[in-house]
Amino acid sequence: MNAGQKFAAPIALFLLVFFAAPLLIVSWYSFMPPRSFSLTGTPTLANYVEAFSGGYEKPLLWSMLGASLTTLVCALIAWPTAKLLHAHVGRAASVVTALIALPIFISESVRLFGLSMFLMPRGGILAGSLNAWFDIQIGSILNTRLAALLGMIYVYFPFTLFPLLLGVSLIPEDRIEAARDLGAGRWAVFREIELPLAAPGLLIGALLTFVLCLGANAEAAILGGRAVTVISAAIEQRFNYAQDWPMGAALTVLVLIVTAALVWPALRRIDLNRLMHR
Amino acid sequence: MPAPESAQAAAPALSLEGLTRSFGSLRAVDGISLDISEGEFLTIVGPSGSGKSTLVRILAGLESADSGRLALRGEDITRLPANRRPTAMVFQSLALFDHRSVGENIEFALKMKGVDPATRRERAMELLGLVRLPEAYYERAVTQCSGGERQRIAMARALASDPEILFFDEPLSALDYRLRKTLEVELKELHQRTGKTFVYITHSLEEAMIMSDRIAIMREGRFVQLGTPREIYQQPVNRFVAEFMGEVNILAIDDDGRGARYVGLDCAAADAEGAYAVLRPEALRPDTGESNKDVVSFEAEVDQRLLLGSRTQYHLHVGELRLIAEVSAGGQSDLQPGDQQRFCFDASSVVWVDD
Repeated sequence: MNAGQKFAAPIALFLLVFFAAPLLIVSWYSFMPPRSFSLTGTPTLANYVEAFSGGYEKPLLWSMLGASLTTLVCALIAWPTAKLLHAHVGRAASVVTALIALPIFISESVRLFGLSMFLMPRGGILAGSLNAWFDIQIGSILNTRLAALLGMIYVYFPFTLFPLLLGVSLIPEDRIEAARDLGAGRWAVFREIELPLAAPGLLIGALLTFVLCLGANAEAAILGGRAVTVISAAIEQRFNYAQDWPMGAALTVLVLIVTAALVWPALRRIDLNRLMHR
Repeated sequence: MPAPESAQAAAPALSLEGLTRSFGSLRAVDGISLDISEGEFLTIVGPSGSGKSTLVRILAGLESADSGRLALRGEDITRLPANRRPTAMVFQSLALFDHRSVGENIEFALKMKGVDPATRRERAMELLGLVRLPEAYYERAVTQCSGGERQRIAMARALASDPEILFFDEPLSALDYRLRKTLEVELKELHQRTGKTFVYITHSLEEAMIMSDRIAIMREGRFVQLGTPREIYQQPVNRFVAEFMGEVNILAIDDDGRGARYVGLDCAAADAEGAYAVLRPEALRPDTGESNKDVVSFEAEVDQRLLLGSRTQYHLHVGELRLIAEVSAGGQSDLQPGDQQRFCFDASSVVWVDD
């Protein structure tokens, strides 16, 4: 064993015990007979059949749709934000960046309950203020899918923005000028120069957001009410209330497959060294 | 309605009228006016911070002027954005699109114009030939090309849309000496072959001399002198221009202990205080006993002898005054460091300049 391997051994052991082993156990559990608690049963595909026929496809699809929409909206908002922050480096930009970053240090549930109070009907902060000051009465989107989506965009926006900010900083100003000089309008500059050059940052930001949203649970629970069941909630139910560990494991494996199918090809395309300016 | 041919020929390719641009309290470009004629190779020379880059960026539309007017063949383009000006620029950094192939780089302007791919490819091949690159480079990644090749790609890219005027913002400054010399000649040839108007920015007067039809020397946002290379070489208007030419002897007349009196030069010709005598190295020669009242002769000691191929350069001193003399090699007797020798020059070869 050389020095490098010796230094890598502790972390390798750690990953083996706390990452690879649980993953293997969960994967193996997903092939066990339904509602069994042992790892020694006869392997079966029953849980996977059930996953696609027993009504679980709805939470899975909702989670994927929610994650896609959140990623899309976050990217659409993050692009102009990143461009602006990059163009106005200085005090104002630092303040705005801090304002966006600070909420990350506050518990997600606290923030979501805050948003919930903001959106509450009648006496909620938004509806109440509009009523008191402007005599405008509005309903509420609380306990709908829209509220859950809004919550996810609110919580995961920084995860799109910060990698994208790094990506935008990879666009040299002179390339944009050269493109303009050669006849490119705003849209062409975006399509031909800015987007491909900032792509690594955008891709990492979008991946982070998508993967986090796919596993997100609190937004739907706190803001979405009973309107939606996301896949992570369904998995939790299988493990806890239903006491059907093999089913929970099968759903977990499906989420992992979806995640891996997206993350793997994307990561292969990103040159992390370039992003780190090395 | 098309303008009459004679009027069209009379309108300058590019006309600058009182262009001004300030950054804070700094006047980067301070009321520049100039007519650039069709097919001309004009070079703007100046030290860094002289405003030459800002000026060319205004001409290309990448920077806006605070005041003044810019006309292309008589048509006002002052407010036209860069992407709608029929001009193209070769950047100092070249600004090649590293994420695109050589071919895609060259075709960029045509793609923006909506030219179909087949025609684009044909034109790109033609341009590769024009800048002396093999057609196989079409598919190559820009990042795989050498410095000189990237230079040529940048020129081909700028030429692709057949622009009316080409701007060059010190494109050769990052290259090594030999490659720069080669490309200077190629650029001059490219100018002759395309017949286009070239506006070139550089900090090297030597580079400007080789390529240009006219040279504008810029300092603190203004043109100090505008003329042909010969005019600037023979008749620099002031000490700044004279110093810019590199190895010339500049003799101050009222500088105690140094200056023109050392060599016995008659300073009556200088009419103002703070005047300088500019003496080119090749005007100095070893005195072979010619006695003429128009020849100034002085005794000097040789400090250094440098062989420059066809010429030999001597570094001399007379008292505290240091001079450079250049004689064609193999002509007169060879001098060695430490030798005492009389040198002379024609009084008529001295150019008097002010500060």
